[in-house]
Amino acid sequence: MKTFSLYVPRDSLIHRINPIDKILYTITAIAVPLILPSMAASFLCMLISLSLLAAARVVRQSLPVFAFVFLILCTVVLIQGWFYPGNQTPLFGVEPFVFHAEGLMKACRIGIRVTNVVAAFLLLVLTTKPADLVEELVRRGLSPRIGYVLDSIFQILPQMMNTTRTILDAQRSRGLETEGSLWVRVKAFLPLIVPVVMSSLIHAKERALALEVRGLHFEGQRTWLREKRTYPYSREIRGGLLLVLTASIVWRILG
Amino acid sequence: MSKIRVEHLKYRYPSSEKLALDDLSFEVDEGEMIGIIGRNGAGKSTLCQAFVGLVPHFYRGAYGGKVVVSGLEVLKSSVSQLARRVGIVFQNPFTQVTGSKWTVYEEVAFGLENLGVPRKEMIDRIDYALQLLGMEKYRDRHPFDLSGGQMQRMAIASVIALQPEILVLDEPTSQLDPQGSEEVFRAVHRLREEGMTVILAEHNMEKIARYCNRVMLLDGGKIIDFASPASVFSRADLTRYGVVPPVYTRVCRELNAKREGSPHFPVTLEEACEVLKGR
Amino acid sequence: MSRVVVKDVCFSYRSGEEVLKGITLDFDEKSTAIIGQNGAGKTTFVKLLKGLLKPTRGEIYILGRSANEMTAAALAPFIGLVFQNPNDQIFRSTVLEEVMFGPLNIGEDPKGARKKAEEALEMVGLTEKASENPHDLRLSEKKLVCVASIVAMEPEILILDEPTIAQDHAGMAAIRQVIRRFKEQGKLVMGILHDMDFAAENFERVVVFHQGTVVADDDPREVFSRESLLQRAGLEVPHITRLGWSLGRKETFLTEAELIQSLRGEGSTDR
Ligand SMILES: Nc1ncnc2c1ncn2[C@@H]1O[C@H](COP(=O)(O)OP(=O)(O)OP(=O)(O)O)[C@@H](O)[C@H]1O
Ligand SMILES: Nc1ncnc2c1ncn2[C@@H]1O[C@H](COP(=O)(O)OP(=O)(O)OP(=O)(O)O)[C@@H](O)[C@H]1O
Ligand SMILES: [Mg+2]
Ligand SMILES: [Mg+2]
Repeated sequence: MKTFSLYVPRDSLIHRINPIDKILYTITAIAVPLILPSMAASFLCMLISLSLLAAARVVRQSLPVFAFVFLILCTVVLIQGWFYPGNQTPLFGVEPFVFHAEGLMKACRIGIRVTNVVAAFLLLVLTTKPADLVEELVRRGLSPRIGYVLDSIFQILPQMMNTTRTILDAQRSRGLETEGSLWVRVKAFLPLIVPVVMSSLIHAKERALALEVRGLHFEGQRTWLREKRTYPYSREIRGGLLLVLTASIVWRILG
Repeated sequence: MSKIRVEHLKYRYPSSEKLALDDLSFEVDEGEMIGIIGRNGAGKSTLCQAFVGLVPHFYRGAYGGKVVVSGLEVLKSSVSQLARRVGIVFQNPFTQVTGSKWTVYEEVAFGLENLGVPRKEMIDRIDYALQLLGMEKYRDRHPFDLSGGQMQRMAIASVIALQPEILVLDEPTSQLDPQGSEEVFRAVHRLREEGMTVILAEHNMEKIARYCNRVMLLDGGKIIDFASPASVFSRADLTRYGVVPPVYTRVCRELNAKREGSPHFPVTLEEACEVLKGR
Repeated sequence: MSRVVVKDVCFSYRSGEEVLKGITLDFDEKSTAIIGQNGAGKTTFVKLLKGLLKPTRGEIYILGRSANEMTAAALAPFIGLVFQNPNDQIFRSTVLEEVMFGPLNIGEDPKGARKKAEEALEMVGLTEKASENPHDLRLSEKKLVCVASIVAMEPEILILDEPTIAQDHAGMAAIRQVIRRFKEQGKLVMGILHDMDFAAENFERVVVFHQGTVVADDDPREVFSRESLLQRAGLEVPHITRLGWSLGRKETFLTEAELIQSLRGEGSTDR
């Protein structure tokens, strides 16, 4: 079955870091540029996130996402360059489409911010197996029920796709034409949306039975199939992140 | 002391007007294997789910009487509390996959994790259960990428790994190949010899006759008969309840060949051979 | 005349793991039971016939048409498949609509479709449930609804994937009736079965799948005589056959009636 997560299995130090530490990193990398609005801070955070992506050897997998982001940023450059209210210094172009220095600077700042946020998220998403993250959260006191829901969310989409395919298969078998032009496909697909959702709900109800009798709501101490993993440098990472956060807050207040 | 005690159990599903279980009373001892038979809709699955507490806790509906399993009164215990003592395999293998695990191995571990079985023991139990059902080969497969029979095997393994005191099986081998089904029955038989109590709803009468020590015939939610396989399957009015006896019994009845000194017809291969030998 | 021709067909769900390894078969109108171990590739095979999967190698002809080049929908009027899991198919809000869906798709007018659907429901004994929501039915009934929904399309070729699951005696009788009806009309019926007794009684030909290959293909009496082969393929002989052999008979009995006759016959000469 296809997986829905973007996780890329690699053997890198970043992959071995505690998922929770990675979440903390993502939060910090997003928070610092908010606390310190200077361009340098954002730029630095972005650089760090990008180099961590490189260290995790997932640059290639992040390229499609960056390409998409870049496309959107292009429109930002155009709009800000031309129409930013603070525009004063024209650089090049013909009326009314003249690029201004202020607008381009603004676009640049937005670009760096966005890239930073995306890179920080990608670092988490590309190097962390969702199940590992959920397990770590449950070990730290998240309710196993919520853990189950989170785990199944990562499977729900592929499962829905599977269900859609099987139901579609069954209706094809009974003469419903689903191949051919876009219109044929859409016409075949629309009436199936309700049944697919229905069928998922019914499955969910029957599945709930199976979960109940396998103790999903059991109140006692639970255990794990996998050994509790020890993640490297956890203390250092947390200490470091805390330090960076405090430092930037202090800087902000003093500066 | 009896392992299961049912007193005047009555149950009606919320969406229905008629009783699905109508005033059942019986007891089952430790180590017994009880076969539940009856036509489609007789109430077999409903009764099975009454042992694990899904009836009434999950479905709600109108409930009367008392069911005590392993010393726990079902009405007063939660499904999870009961889950430690009673395990159930459902009729449809396609709908008992958790949908949160990525491999067959993890899938079997699901219940063990919830019930807090220590890790080392968990691994032993999973390995044992997978091996028992011939599923080691597929341990790293995604649970949804299995054939129908393989899914059913996984479902059985998941419950056997829980090592319940009472095992409830609702048509557990309908999609298994003949040898696979026989292996499951042998495995269950072994577990029974180790003291497990087994309840089995099944349409395969030959298996019931071979493996169960008592048979409960249900119709319209009522107990019609609850006795030895030979006695139940020798009833002349069995077909009135939508049930046909094992082929061995049918042949012997046709030839009017009863067991010596017994009012009953043979129900297993061995018994049939005994009375038909020399013909 | 050949209804279905399968030439050296291979298939795999993931590369490197061949599920079907070069199947060559030819089906005329003889009703055929397909038996084999779990995971042997039976369901995969019939999905290929139905055009739902396309072979990685080899060719399939359905009534002279190449299945490789036709969509499943285009094949629908000729070949009907009842799925192993009824939940895969059921999607309308009443039983009658569910059963009418197929006939309507293949060009039947609403009145004709309704008539065929009602007949099919009658055949499987579900007339009374026609206006119920199929999702609310029991597993055994859902399975019969699926059978009816294919029967109503009156295909030339009918494939049943484990039809006897969850059926009681009456349900089995209904399925037997469907098979008989198709046979009488000279149509090809194929059934995937784990119930050897049912296979022996109701089919004229038995094909044994084992790990993606066909290891036996003959009439039932022949196939069920080969105990060691069945053993290897995860199967067993029918109960009645076993009883006959245990009583020292050499022949392979396939039905109760045959054995009883044999026992009666000899019993009377003894006396
Ligand atoms: N969820 C439900 N809601 C309402 N009625 C139900 C429900 N499940 C079962 N019933 C009804 O309860 C009665 C007993 O059904 P049950 O499923 O226990 O029969 P069964 O003997 O297991 O049949 P089968 O052999 O088909 O599995 C039937 O009349 C059925 O229609
Ligand atoms: N969607 C899938 N993805 C990957 N592998 C699959 C998929 N479906 C089936 N398989 C594998 O292909 C093999 C053949 O499966 P198939 O469903 O054809 O078996 P079968 O003979 O019908 O078995 P059963 O009697 O258990 O239904 C099995 O080993 C199964 O695990
Ligand atoms: Mg049932
Ligand atoms: Mg199959």
